[in-house]
Amino acid sequence: MWQFLESIENSGFSTFVRETPSVLAYPTVLALHTFGMAFLVGLSGVIAVRVLGVAPALPLPPLARFFPLIMAGFWVNAATGVILTALAAQSMLSNPDFYIKLGAIGAALVCLGQLRHHAFGKAGNGATGAVPSKGRVWAGAMLTFWGIAVLAGRLTAYESDVRRQAAVAVVIAVLVLLAVRMLALRVGGAFNNRATFSARTASGPGIPTANH
Amino acid sequence: MESFLRYWLVWPAVEHFNASHSWAWAFAETFHFFGIILLIGGVGAFDLRILGVAKGLPVAAVRRLLPWGVFGFSLCVATGLQFVTGFRANLPMHPYVVITTDIWLQWKLLFILLAGLNLAAFYATGMSRAVENLPAGTDAPALAKVIAGASLFLWLGVIYFGRLIPEGL
Repeated sequence: MWQFLESIENSGFSTFVRETPSVLAYPTVLALHTFGMAFLVGLSGVIAVRVLGVAPALPLPPLARFFPLIMAGFWVNAATGVILTALAAQSMLSNPDFYIKLGAIGAALVCLGQLRHHAFGKAGNGATGAVPSKGRVWAGAMLTFWGIAVLAGRLTAYESDVRRQAAVAVVIAVLVLLAVRMLALRVGGAFNNRATFSARTASGPGIPTANH
Repeated sequence: MESFLRYWLVWPAVEHFNASHSWAWAFAETFHFFGIILLIGGVGAFDLRILGVAKGLPVAAVRRLLPWGVFGFSLCVATGLQFVTGFRANLPMHPYVVITTDIWLQWKLLFILLAGLNLAAFYATGMSRAVENLPAGTDAPALAKVIAGASLFLWLGVIYFGRLIPEGL
Protein backbone atom coordinates (compact mmCIF):
# COMPACT_ATOMS: atom_id res chain seq x y z
CA MET A 1 0.00 0.00 0.00
CA TRP A 2 2.69 2.48 1.02
CA GLN A 3 4.72 1.53 -2.01
CA PHE A 4 1.73 2.26 -4.18
CA LEU A 5 1.20 5.67 -2.57
CA GLU A 6 4.89 6.39 -2.84
CA SER A 7 4.84 5.59 -6.53
CA ILE A 8 1.91 8.00 -7.05
CA GLU A 9 3.76 10.67 -5.13
CA ASN A 10 6.94 10.14 -7.15
CA SER A 11 5.29 9.71 -10.54
CA GLY A 12 6.48 11.98 -13.32
CA PHE A 13 3.26 14.00 -13.17
CA SER A 14 3.35 14.54 -9.40
CA THR A 15 7.03 15.45 -9.43
CA PHE A 16 6.51 17.89 -12.28
CA VAL A 17 3.56 19.66 -10.66
CA ARG A 18 5.35 19.81 -7.32
CA GLU A 19 8.79 20.86 -8.44
CA THR A 20 8.54 22.91 -11.61
CA PRO A 21 9.31 26.56 -10.82
CA SER A 22 6.35 27.68 -12.97
CA VAL A 23 3.57 29.36 -10.98
CA LEU A 24 1.16 27.79 -13.47
CA ALA A 25 1.67 24.36 -11.89
CA TYR A 26 1.28 23.80 -8.14
CA PRO A 27 0.17 27.33 -7.08
CA THR A 28 -2.38 27.51 -9.88
CA VAL A 29 -3.87 24.13 -8.97
CA LEU A 30 -4.08 25.41 -5.39
CA ALA A 31 -5.73 28.66 -6.55
CA LEU A 32 -8.27 26.74 -8.65
CA HIS A 33 -9.05 24.68 -5.53
CA THR A 34 -9.79 27.97 -3.74
CA PHE A 35 -11.97 29.27 -6.61
CA GLY A 36 -13.97 26.05 -6.54
CA MET A 37 -14.42 26.33 -2.77
CA ALA A 38 -15.58 29.95 -3.06
CA PHE A 39 -18.23 29.15 -5.69
CA LEU A 40 -19.35 25.83 -4.20
CA VAL A 41 -19.60 27.01 -0.59
CA GLY A 42 -20.30 30.69 -1.28
CA LEU A 43 -23.23 30.23 -3.65
CA SER A 44 -24.75 27.18 -1.95
CA GLY A 45 -24.34 29.23 1.24
CA VAL A 46 -26.46 32.02 -0.27
CA ILE A 47 -29.28 29.51 -0.83
CA ALA A 48 -28.84 28.16 2.70
CA VAL A 49 -28.93 31.54 4.47
CA ARG A 50 -31.98 32.53 2.40
CA VAL A 51 -33.73 29.33 3.47
CA LEU A 52 -32.72 30.12 7.06
CA GLY A 53 -34.53 33.44 6.81
CA VAL A 54 -31.87 35.96 5.77
CA ALA A 55 -33.01 38.42 3.06
CA PRO A 56 -36.60 37.11 2.96
CA ALA A 57 -37.34 39.46 0.04
CA LEU A 58 -35.09 37.30 -2.13
CA PRO A 59 -37.34 35.03 -4.23
CA LEU A 60 -36.16 31.44 -3.88
CA PRO A 61 -36.85 29.86 -7.32
CA PRO A 62 -34.38 32.01 -9.37
CA LEU A 63 -31.59 31.05 -6.94
CA ALA A 64 -31.73 27.58 -8.54
CA ARG A 65 -29.85 29.21 -11.46
CA PHE A 66 -26.74 29.16 -9.27
CA PHE A 67 -26.66 25.36 -9.31
CA PRO A 68 -24.57 25.01 -12.51
CA LEU A 69 -21.91 27.28 -10.94
CA ILE A 70 -22.14 25.42 -7.62
CA MET A 71 -21.63 22.10 -9.40
CA ALA A 72 -18.81 23.55 -11.52
CA GLY A 73 -17.14 24.58 -8.25
CA PHE A 74 -17.53 21.03 -6.96
CA TRP A 75 -16.05 19.38 -10.06
CA VAL A 76 -13.13 21.82 -10.25
CA ASN A 77 -12.38 20.92 -6.64
CA ALA A 78 -12.80 17.20 -7.18
CA ALA A 79 -10.25 17.36 -10.03
CA THR A 80 -7.76 19.69 -8.32
CA GLY A 81 -8.29 17.79 -5.07
CA VAL A 82 -7.20 14.52 -6.71
CA ILE A 83 -4.06 16.23 -8.05
CA LEU A 84 -3.20 17.85 -4.71
CA THR A 85 -3.70 14.52 -2.94
CA ALA A 86 -1.46 12.73 -5.45
CA LEU A 87 1.37 15.21 -4.76
CA ALA A 88 1.46 14.25 -1.10
CA ALA A 89 -0.31 10.88 -1.17
CA GLN A 90 1.47 9.36 1.83
CA SER A 91 1.12 12.24 4.27
CA MET A 92 -2.47 13.02 3.19
CA LEU A 93 -3.80 9.48 3.37
CA SER A 94 -2.18 8.90 6.76
CA ASN A 95 -3.66 12.12 8.14
CA PRO A 96 -6.94 11.63 10.10
CA ASP A 97 -7.76 15.27 9.41
CA PHE A 98 -7.91 14.50 5.68
CA TYR A 99 -10.64 11.91 6.29
CA ILE A 100 -12.59 14.35 8.46
CA LYS A 101 -12.47 16.78 5.53
CA LEU A 102 -13.67 14.15 3.03
CA GLY A 103 -16.43 13.01 5.41
CA ALA A 104 -17.59 16.60 5.96
CA ILE A 105 -17.66 17.24 2.20
CA GLY A 106 -19.70 14.08 1.64
CA ALA A 107 -22.14 15.08 4.39
CA ALA A 108 -22.41 18.65 3.05
CA LEU A 109 -23.21 17.30 -0.43
CA VAL A 110 -25.97 15.09 0.98
CA CYS A 111 -27.36 18.17 2.78
CA LEU A 112 -27.09 20.20 -0.44
CA GLY A 113 -29.09 17.57 -2.31
CA GLN A 114 -31.76 17.55 0.40
CA LEU A 115 -31.77 21.35 0.54
CA ARG A 116 -32.31 21.44 -3.22
CA HIS A 117 -35.15 18.96 -2.89
CA HIS A 118 -36.88 20.89 -0.10
CA ALA A 119 -36.30 24.41 -1.45
CA PHE A 120 -36.80 23.87 -5.19
CA GLY A 121 -38.38 20.45 -5.61
CA LYS A 122 -42.02 19.50 -5.19
CA ALA A 123 -41.55 19.49 -1.42
CA GLY A 124 -40.99 23.25 -1.35
CA ASN A 125 -43.50 25.85 -2.43
CA GLY A 126 -41.52 27.59 -5.13
CA ALA A 127 -44.07 30.29 -5.85
CA THR A 128 -44.21 31.77 -2.37
CA GLY A 129 -40.69 30.84 -1.40
CA ALA A 130 -41.96 29.10 1.71
CA VAL A 131 -39.63 26.31 2.76
CA PRO A 132 -40.71 23.50 5.06
CA SER A 133 -38.84 23.48 8.36
CA LYS A 134 -37.00 20.34 7.22
CA GLY A 135 -35.31 22.46 4.57
CA ARG A 136 -34.03 24.79 7.28
CA VAL A 137 -32.45 21.89 9.16
CA TRP A 138 -30.65 20.72 6.00
CA ALA A 139 -29.50 24.30 5.31
CA GLY A 140 -28.05 24.67 8.81
CA ALA A 141 -26.42 21.24 8.65
CA MET A 142 -24.88 22.01 5.25
CA LEU A 143 -23.32 25.26 6.49
CA THR A 144 -21.91 23.43 9.52
CA PHE A 145 -20.39 20.66 7.37
CA TRP A 146 -18.92 23.18 4.90
CA GLY A 147 -17.36 24.98 7.86
CA ILE A 148 -15.85 21.72 9.12
CA ALA A 149 -14.59 20.86 5.61
CA VAL A 150 -12.88 24.24 5.13
CA LEU A 151 -11.38 24.15 8.61
CA ALA A 152 -10.14 20.57 8.26
CA GLY A 153 -8.78 21.31 4.79
CA ARG A 154 -6.81 24.27 6.07
CA LEU A 155 -5.47 22.29 9.01
CA THR A 156 -4.13 19.32 7.02
CA ALA A 157 -0.91 21.34 6.67
CA TYR A 158 -0.30 21.47 10.44
CA GLU A 159 0.94 19.23 13.27
CA SER A 160 -1.74 17.42 15.24
CA ASP A 161 -1.48 19.48 18.46
CA VAL A 162 -1.69 22.72 16.47
CA ARG A 163 -4.68 21.28 14.61
CA ARG A 164 -6.56 20.51 17.80
CA GLN A 165 -5.94 23.93 19.32
CA ALA A 166 -6.73 25.80 16.10
CA ALA A 167 -9.94 23.81 15.62
CA VAL A 168 -11.11 24.65 19.15
CA ALA A 169 -10.21 28.33 18.66
CA VAL A 170 -12.11 28.50 15.35
CA VAL A 171 -15.20 26.82 16.80
CA ILE A 172 -15.21 29.22 19.77
CA ALA A 173 -14.74 32.25 17.50
CA VAL A 174 -17.57 31.15 15.18
CA LEU A 175 -19.90 30.61 18.17
CA VAL A 176 -18.99 34.07 19.51
CA LEU A 177 -19.70 35.65 16.11
CA LEU A 178 -23.07 33.86 15.89
CA ALA A 179 -23.96 34.98 19.43
CA VAL A 180 -23.04 38.59 18.61
CA ARG A 181 -25.18 38.44 15.47
CA MET A 182 -28.13 37.01 17.41
CA LEU A 183 -27.78 39.69 20.07
CA ALA A 184 -27.51 42.45 17.47
CA LEU A 185 -30.63 41.17 15.68
CA ARG A 186 -32.52 41.06 18.96
CA VAL A 187 -31.48 44.57 20.00
CA GLY A 188 -32.10 45.85 16.44
CA GLY A 189 -35.50 44.12 16.37
CA ALA A 190 -36.56 45.65 19.68
CA PHE A 191 -35.41 49.06 18.45
CA ASN A 192 -37.32 48.70 15.18
CA ASN A 193 -40.50 47.62 16.99
CA ARG A 194 -40.33 50.68 19.19
CA ALA A 195 -39.71 52.93 16.19
CA THR A 196 -42.76 51.61 14.31
CA PHE A 197 -44.83 51.83 17.49
CA SER A 198 -43.95 55.48 18.14
CA ALA A 199 -44.46 56.31 14.45
CA ARG A 200 -47.91 54.80 14.70
CA THR A 201 -48.86 56.68 17.86
CA ALA A 202 -47.36 59.92 16.55
CA SER A 203 -49.73 59.95 13.59
CA GLY A 204 -52.54 59.77 16.12
CA PRO A 205 -55.33 57.22 16.31
CA GLY A 206 -58.30 57.85 14.10
CA ILE A 207 -57.10 61.22 12.79
CA PRO A 208 -56.71 61.04 9.00
CA THR A 209 -53.40 62.52 7.92
CA ALA A 210 -53.40 65.16 5.22
CA ASN A 211 -52.22 64.56 1.65
CA HIS A 212 -52.98 60.84 1.61
CA MET B 1 9.80 56.61 3.93
CA GLU B 2 11.54 53.29 4.41
CA SER B 3 12.13 53.76 8.12
CA PHE B 4 8.53 54.94 8.51
CA LEU B 5 7.19 51.81 6.83
CA ARG B 6 9.63 49.57 8.65
CA TYR B 7 8.26 50.97 11.88
CA TRP B 8 4.54 50.86 11.03
CA LEU B 9 4.46 47.47 9.31
CA VAL B 10 5.48 45.59 12.44
CA TRP B 11 2.88 45.43 15.20
CA PRO B 12 4.70 43.95 18.20
CA ALA B 13 1.50 42.82 19.91
CA VAL B 14 0.40 40.86 16.82
CA GLU B 15 3.88 39.47 16.33
CA HIS B 16 3.92 38.37 19.95
CA PHE B 17 0.44 36.85 19.65
CA ASN B 18 1.42 34.87 16.55
CA ALA B 19 4.67 33.74 18.13
CA SER B 20 3.24 32.67 21.45
CA HIS B 21 0.19 30.76 20.16
CA SER B 22 1.02 27.88 17.87
CA TRP B 23 -2.56 27.90 16.55
CA ALA B 24 -2.66 31.61 15.67
CA TRP B 25 -1.53 31.28 12.04
CA ALA B 26 -3.84 28.36 11.20
CA PHE B 27 -6.70 30.18 12.95
CA ALA B 28 -6.16 33.32 10.85
CA GLU B 29 -5.85 31.30 7.64
CA THR B 30 -9.16 29.55 8.31
CA PHE B 31 -10.94 32.87 8.84
CA HIS B 32 -9.23 34.28 5.75
CA PHE B 33 -10.93 31.45 3.83
CA PHE B 34 -14.28 31.98 5.54
CA GLY B 35 -13.90 35.61 4.44
CA ILE B 36 -13.25 34.58 0.82
CA ILE B 37 -16.40 32.45 0.85
CA LEU B 38 -18.52 35.28 2.26
CA LEU B 39 -17.02 37.70 -0.28
CA ILE B 40 -17.85 35.48 -3.26
CA GLY B 41 -21.21 34.49 -1.76
CA GLY B 42 -22.20 38.12 -1.15
CA VAL B 43 -20.45 40.31 -3.72
CA GLY B 44 -20.09 37.50 -6.28
CA ALA B 45 -23.82 36.67 -6.17
CA PHE B 46 -24.63 40.36 -6.70
CA ASP B 47 -22.21 40.58 -9.65
CA LEU B 48 -23.69 37.43 -11.17
CA ARG B 49 -27.23 38.86 -10.98
CA ILE B 50 -26.09 42.08 -12.69
CA LEU B 51 -24.39 39.96 -15.36
CA GLY B 52 -27.69 38.21 -15.97
CA VAL B 53 -27.24 34.90 -14.13
CA ALA B 54 -30.37 34.26 -12.02
CA LYS B 55 -32.02 37.24 -13.70
CA GLY B 56 -35.25 36.32 -11.91
CA LEU B 57 -33.89 37.99 -8.76
CA PRO B 58 -34.87 41.63 -8.15
CA VAL B 59 -31.62 43.58 -7.64
CA ALA B 60 -32.79 45.32 -4.46
CA ALA B 61 -33.21 41.91 -2.79
CA VAL B 62 -29.78 40.64 -3.90
CA ARG B 63 -28.31 43.84 -2.53
CA ARG B 64 -29.25 42.61 0.94
CA LEU B 65 -26.44 40.05 0.53
CA LEU B 66 -23.76 42.74 0.11
CA PRO B 67 -23.21 43.33 3.86
CA TRP B 68 -22.21 39.64 4.07
CA GLY B 69 -19.59 40.30 1.41
CA VAL B 70 -18.37 43.40 3.25
CA PHE B 71 -18.12 41.36 6.45
CA GLY B 72 -16.15 38.69 4.57
CA PHE B 73 -13.79 41.32 3.20
CA SER B 74 -13.34 42.72 6.72
CA LEU B 75 -12.41 39.26 7.99
CA CYS B 76 -9.83 39.02 5.20
CA VAL B 77 -8.39 42.47 5.98
CA ALA B 78 -8.16 41.71 9.71
CA THR B 79 -6.50 38.32 9.23
CA GLY B 80 -4.40 39.69 6.35
CA LEU B 81 -3.05 42.38 8.68
CA GLN B 82 -2.33 39.63 11.19
CA PHE B 83 -0.20 37.83 8.56
CA VAL B 84 1.69 40.95 7.49
CA THR B 85 2.22 42.79 10.77
CA GLY B 86 3.06 39.58 12.63
CA PHE B 87 4.97 37.99 9.76
CA ARG B 88 8.27 37.62 11.61
CA ALA B 89 6.66 35.11 13.95
CA ASN B 90 6.39 32.80 10.91
CA LEU B 91 9.54 33.56 8.89
CA PRO B 92 12.57 35.66 9.83
CA MET B 93 11.74 38.34 7.27
CA HIS B 94 10.73 41.95 7.88
CA PRO B 95 7.23 42.78 6.52
CA TYR B 96 8.75 45.77 4.74
CA VAL B 97 11.04 43.42 2.82
CA VAL B 98 8.10 41.10 2.07
CA ILE B 99 5.98 43.93 0.67
CA THR B 100 8.79 45.45 -1.36
CA THR B 101 10.04 42.16 -2.84
CA ASP B 102 7.09 39.78 -3.16
CA ILE B 103 5.74 40.43 -6.65
CA TRP B 104 2.57 38.37 -6.03
CA LEU B 105 1.68 40.23 -2.86
CA GLN B 106 2.15 43.45 -4.84
CA TRP B 107 -0.18 42.19 -7.59
CA LYS B 108 -2.71 41.19 -4.94
CA LEU B 109 -2.64 44.61 -3.28
CA LEU B 110 -2.91 46.29 -6.71
CA PHE B 111 -5.97 44.16 -7.55
CA ILE B 112 -7.61 45.02 -4.21
CA LEU B 113 -7.01 48.70 -5.03
CA LEU B 114 -8.49 48.21 -8.53
CA ALA B 115 -11.52 46.41 -7.03
CA GLY B 116 -12.00 49.43 -4.77
CA LEU B 117 -11.77 51.84 -7.72
CA ASN B 118 -14.19 49.61 -9.64
CA LEU B 119 -16.64 49.87 -6.74
CA ALA B 120 -16.20 53.66 -6.71
CA ALA B 121 -16.90 53.66 -10.47
CA PHE B 122 -20.10 51.69 -9.81
CA TYR B 123 -21.40 54.63 -7.77
CA ALA B 124 -19.72 57.47 -9.70
CA THR B 125 -21.13 56.39 -13.08
CA GLY B 126 -24.65 56.24 -11.65
CA MET B 127 -24.83 52.50 -12.28
CA SER B 128 -25.63 51.83 -8.63
CA ARG B 129 -28.79 53.96 -9.00
CA ALA B 130 -29.56 52.54 -12.43
CA VAL B 131 -29.77 48.98 -11.10
CA GLU B 132 -31.18 49.84 -7.68
CA ASN B 133 -34.80 49.21 -8.57
CA LEU B 134 -34.22 46.77 -11.38
CA PRO B 135 -37.11 44.30 -11.12
CA ALA B 136 -36.94 40.55 -11.66
CA GLY B 137 -36.30 39.45 -15.22
CA THR B 138 -34.79 42.78 -16.36
CA ASP B 139 -31.35 43.22 -17.91
CA ALA B 140 -28.88 45.62 -16.31
CA PRO B 141 -27.31 48.39 -18.44
CA ALA B 142 -24.19 47.32 -20.37
CA LEU B 143 -21.89 49.52 -18.25
CA ALA B 144 -23.21 47.93 -15.05
CA LYS B 145 -22.43 44.51 -16.56
CA VAL B 146 -18.89 45.60 -17.41
CA ILE B 147 -18.36 46.79 -13.83
CA ALA B 148 -19.86 43.59 -12.37
CA GLY B 149 -17.68 41.46 -14.66
CA ALA B 150 -14.62 43.48 -13.67
CA SER B 151 -15.52 43.00 -10.00
CA LEU B 152 -15.66 39.20 -10.36
CA PHE B 153 -12.43 39.15 -12.38
CA LEU B 154 -10.59 41.38 -9.89
CA TRP B 155 -11.71 39.46 -6.79
CA LEU B 156 -10.78 36.11 -8.35
CA GLY B 157 -7.45 37.73 -9.27
CA VAL B 158 -6.99 38.76 -5.64
CA ILE B 159 -7.55 35.14 -4.56
CA TYR B 160 -5.18 33.87 -7.28
CA PHE B 161 -2.32 36.20 -6.40
CA GLY B 162 -2.94 35.53 -2.72
CA ARG B 163 -2.30 31.84 -3.34
CA LEU B 164 0.95 32.74 -5.14
CA ILE B 165 2.38 34.85 -2.29
CA PRO B 166 4.54 32.02 -0.83
CA GLU B 167 6.16 31.60 -4.30
CA GLY B 168 7.36 35.20 -4.26
CA LEU B 169 8.98 35.18 -0.82
